[in-house]
Amino acid sequence: MNAARQIFKPCRLFPTGRAFCFLSGPAKGDNHMDISALLTQYGDKYLQALLTTWKLTVFSFSLAFLIGIAITVIRVCPIRPLQLFGDFYIQIFRNIPGAALLILLVYALPYLNIVLSYYTCVLIATSLIPSAFCSEYLMAGMNTIAPGQIEAARALGMSFSKIMKNIVIPQALRSSVLSLTNLLVATMLTTALASQVPMNPMDLTGLVSHINTRAVGGVTAFLISAVLYCTTAVIIGQIGTRIDRKVRILR
Amino acid sequence: MKQTQSSIRDVLYEAPGPKARKRIAVITVLSLLALAALAVAVIRRFAQTGQLDARYWSIFTRYTTWRFLGYGLTGTMTAALTAGVITFFAGLLLMMGRISSCKVLRVLCTVLIEFSRGVPTLLFIYFFLLVVPQFGIRLPALWKVALPVAISACGVVAEVLRSGVNAVPKGQTEAALSLGMQRRSAFFKIIFPQALRYVIPALISELVIVLKDTTFAYIVNYSDLMQNARVLISNYDALLSVYLVTAVIYILINYALNKISVAVARRTQ
Repeated sequence: MNAARQIFKPCRLFPTGRAFCFLSGPAKGDNHMDISALLTQYGDKYLQALLTTWKLTVFSFSLAFLIGIAITVIRVCPIRPLQLFGDFYIQIFRNIPGAALLILLVYALPYLNIVLSYYTCVLIATSLIPSAFCSEYLMAGMNTIAPGQIEAARALGMSFSKIMKNIVIPQALRSSVLSLTNLLVATMLTTALASQVPMNPMDLTGLVSHINTRAVGGVTAFLISAVLYCTTAVIIGQIGTRIDRKVRILR
Repeated sequence: MKQTQSSIRDVLYEAPGPKARKRIAVITVLSLLALAALAVAVIRRFAQTGQLDARYWSIFTRYTTWRFLGYGLTGTMTAALTAGVITFFAGLLLMMGRISSCKVLRVLCTVLIEFSRGVPTLLFIYFFLLVVPQFGIRLPALWKVALPVAISACGVVAEVLRSGVNAVPKGQTEAALSLGMQRRSAFFKIIFPQALRYVIPALISELVIVLKDTTFAYIVNYSDLMQNARVLISNYDALLSVYLVTAVIYILINYALNKISVAVARRTQ
């Protein structure tokens, strides 16, 4: 089983097995594909790649959000060991580089007899890392609530769950809209990790390296992907700003 | 940050009564047991698959192993610092363009900042690995890591610096101008030093992101920590232990940087 994922198997994560031959090849300006040629040959692949990136982003972000909420609950509950575990989790996944986590999942887990599909590995890596940041943002959102509000609510006789439901959670969510928007963009950028393992269909980054190692896509192939990423990011940012303007708490 | 954090944790509950205290004690013990069970399960899994064998871990008692990892770490640090310096100055230029009075420059810099923030580092790395050589430009491996990482971070740094400049009260510029200072010297002597002090914590956090991004160095065969870990693995045939230790080293470095950032933030407040 371990043989199936030998470390020096020439996979994109470890491109040792393959020489990037065009470095010395005759690839010069005149046989660059222009944008129309690229789009006719690879147009539907780009569309597929865009959808893959979007799908991965949405899945990862949803998972990250759920895990983030769970970890936040653990971090504020009055059980000390759980609090410490939550803090530990945050520090691990805030600070581990995405590539290192993915390599551990893909190459190290099989040594523990845990073999996950490449897609699962990518999904886990791209949701665990944002989940730590999600919890940090939610905590920061909670910290914007003045302690006096909670004391006042308690003085009025509200129970803990009521305080949480009516005072803490709504305000924490409302004041972390912008950071969660940024997190969604960051999650999308993290999904580029998918290009490091064999995936079918490929994501936007994987497609660019795929095109460039076969044909000479040049700057154009790169720019198409970049513009697709960038447009998505800008749209997400716009929507986030609009939501934030609507729900922001004026102090 | 830490103080407010502990305060929200404390203030969420009132002082527990005897019943609640008993319940908390019970759940504390249960959760301790659950966490211990988790740890035991992980260790048992390691033991069952033979990953606890001395031959996998004894290499870390050797000086040479650590020296080799140290070389890798030096490579990582060189790449991260190079990228960090480029990022800072590129971010500064972008920020100044973004707030300049020339409209063309402003729009151009806004577009560049959005581009830098919206495109993944990996795509930039592939650009420098696959596309740049097509124009006959051969860069050393260090630059093939440092440049793309810097490009993808400079947009964020520009925005961070801009938020710092915005945090300096407008009256200071007006006062400087009315005293007869040039716009440029007012910016560099009065506004920018203060702005920089506001944003140093955020800049350190950005350095963490830069350092994390340099792990992609294996794509361009630059010998950083990860790459040297790979060499160790092929020499000693100990994949899991070496990668685990490498990941822990990365986590510890970034953890320390984050701690420094928090400490600086507390001091400047």
